[in-house]
Amino acid sequence: MNILIGLITGMISGATPILLAALGGTLTFYAGIFNIAMEGMMLMAAFFAVLGSFALHSWVLGLLFAVGGAMILALIFIFFSVVLDTDEFVTGIALNLFALGSTTYLLRQIFKVKGVFTSKAIVSVPNIRIPLIDKIPFLGPIVSGRNLIVYLAVLATILCWYLVFRTRFGLRLRAAGYNANSLDSSGVRTSRMRIEALLLCAVFCGLAGAYLSLGYVTLFAENMTAGRGWISLAAIILVDGHPYGIALISLLFGFFDGLGLFLQSYGVSSQFTSMVPYIATLGALYVYARRNRERERNRL
Amino acid sequence: MTRKIVSGLLGVVIALAVGALIMFFQGYEPFATYAALAQFSLGGMAPLTTTLKNAVPLVLTGLSAAIAFASGPVNLGQPGQLVFGALAATLGGLYINLPPALEIPLLMVFAILGGALWSGLAGLLRQAFDMSEFIVTLMLNMIADFFTAWAIAYPFMDHKAFSPMTPPIAQSGWIPDLGPLNSSVLVLIAAVAIMWFVFQRWRAGYEWRITGQNSLFARLGGCDVRSNFMAVMLVTGALAGLAGGLVVMGGPHRFIKGLGANYAWDGIMIAIMANNGLIETLIYGLFVAAIQTGALGMELITNVPSEIAQVLQAVLVLVIVATREYAALIFDRLAARRQASVRKERAA
Repeated sequence: MNILIGLITGMISGATPILLAALGGTLTFYAGIFNIAMEGMMLMAAFFAVLGSFALHSWVLGLLFAVGGAMILALIFIFFSVVLDTDEFVTGIALNLFALGSTTYLLRQIFKVKGVFTSKAIVSVPNIRIPLIDKIPFLGPIVSGRNLIVYLAVLATILCWYLVFRTRFGLRLRAAGYNANSLDSSGVRTSRMRIEALLLCAVFCGLAGAYLSLGYVTLFAENMTAGRGWISLAAIILVDGHPYGIALISLLFGFFDGLGLFLQSYGVSSQFTSMVPYIATLGALYVYARRNRERERNRL
Repeated sequence: MTRKIVSGLLGVVIALAVGALIMFFQGYEPFATYAALAQFSLGGMAPLTTTLKNAVPLVLTGLSAAIAFASGPVNLGQPGQLVFGALAATLGGLYINLPPALEIPLLMVFAILGGALWSGLAGLLRQAFDMSEFIVTLMLNMIADFFTAWAIAYPFMDHKAFSPMTPPIAQSGWIPDLGPLNSSVLVLIAAVAIMWFVFQRWRAGYEWRITGQNSLFARLGGCDVRSNFMAVMLVTGALAGLAGGLVVMGGPHRFIKGLGANYAWDGIMIAIMANNGLIETLIYGLFVAAIQTGALGMELITNVPSEIAQVLQAVLVLVIVATREYAALIFDRLAARRQASVRKERAA
């Protein structure tokens, strides 16, 4: 029983950063931007979350810093890809490397360390205990006592769905991706929709990064996102951007993430258990590709 | 041609100016910093040869990315292919001991095969199941990272060492120094020459380039697009693998933890800066190698952390690409205006 609860809570914490980053990415996906900068945005956010929380002793400010950090990257993205019309793929790759380089640089510059920074002074984002619910056997310890950002991620999923499919903003957003010319000719500027999508993406990725450095663990390590931004990109592609689909896929990845940790306690070496989420992504891509192929065959 | 040089130089100048601004706002002296950077990368024989040696993995992975991108496949798997090449060369060097004249080429072949194996896997998944090589190669990078970390921590670990690393490879596999210059640079020059010839002069390279520009046209013109895809994946993986092998054979002579560093990602950036041109990749690769080499010395005398090199590189790639695309727009506009005025004169 306890093992099962452990697996499920592990799944939830593994899924949260991927879910948040993918939700941000899906907004830009609908707006027709080939955005691969989620990895960098998360990394910047993770760094600035630690910086804010450490310097100002408040996790609220840590969260704000995190969103600000991701926002810096979003603004550079906007400047190059929307204003100067630079290739989005190139901009994304360069920004990811910029995030890696500048966080490593700032880690050295501000905290005077290489590799990892941790301190007692960093205030982490609290876990929330829900009264009454935490008394329910089995369900209680799963639903209650999770990190605040986990609950935010659940809200964000619903909000994201509502925003994209039930509001005027969402309609315009999808129009920007579906047919930019017709949106422009109807008097809404596509570039503006794209800018808004990128800024919103930064907010989501900011939360994702903050979860990594103030929730999951309380430290910042060089390149601590470890490919999660890429996995979130895969999640978006696999379900064509639908927020609920993304939530499902993220939980699946979270499960394999947790499974890896679980296997480790059975003596499988950590290098192999760490591979599990990436192998799972390959497996998911295989299923997706096969489904696509069948769909095409049926069409003929 | 002049356009390329003008916009390239302009991009570099603007990027360095942005870098100078960043340093200025942090309270450093930009000019002294750049001077130190140049002095420790180009000033004298020892810095220059170090820069050349450091350029080897950068240019090779850059070539790999450039050829892949120009031919269509989005092979972002250079980091994984590099460590696999390095691992293959190391394993060869641990168990085989031949005279240097045989050992060195053999280990290079091992490295090439190691890299090609890893890129071939991605190519195969694409061919057999239609899985996009873009995400697949990225995932294989992470898997390769963990796999090599496991290999040097368990089965092939040097038990005398304190951190995960393999024992040193047979001495006959060490790439010798030619005077002050490591001869891996010669391998690099040969690789660039061969790849340029294949890519620009051979029929295979022509087919790759055409496929990269318009795969439908290439297919209708009679190219076997599928087998070309596989060939490009294998060749680009081989280049990245060779880079890894040379890093081991020319440097620490064993597989140490973190050996791949950022070489391969830097190589991808270099290819992007070079707009996938092979000769341009060589030039930008040398430039980036100079920045990285100079940064270490610069840190000693100016207190600017060497990590600034990474920031500078990212600024470089963004600014160079943006400048190139913007300059193309302006050049076109100028040309159009010139034509318009000529036409007006004729009319008058």
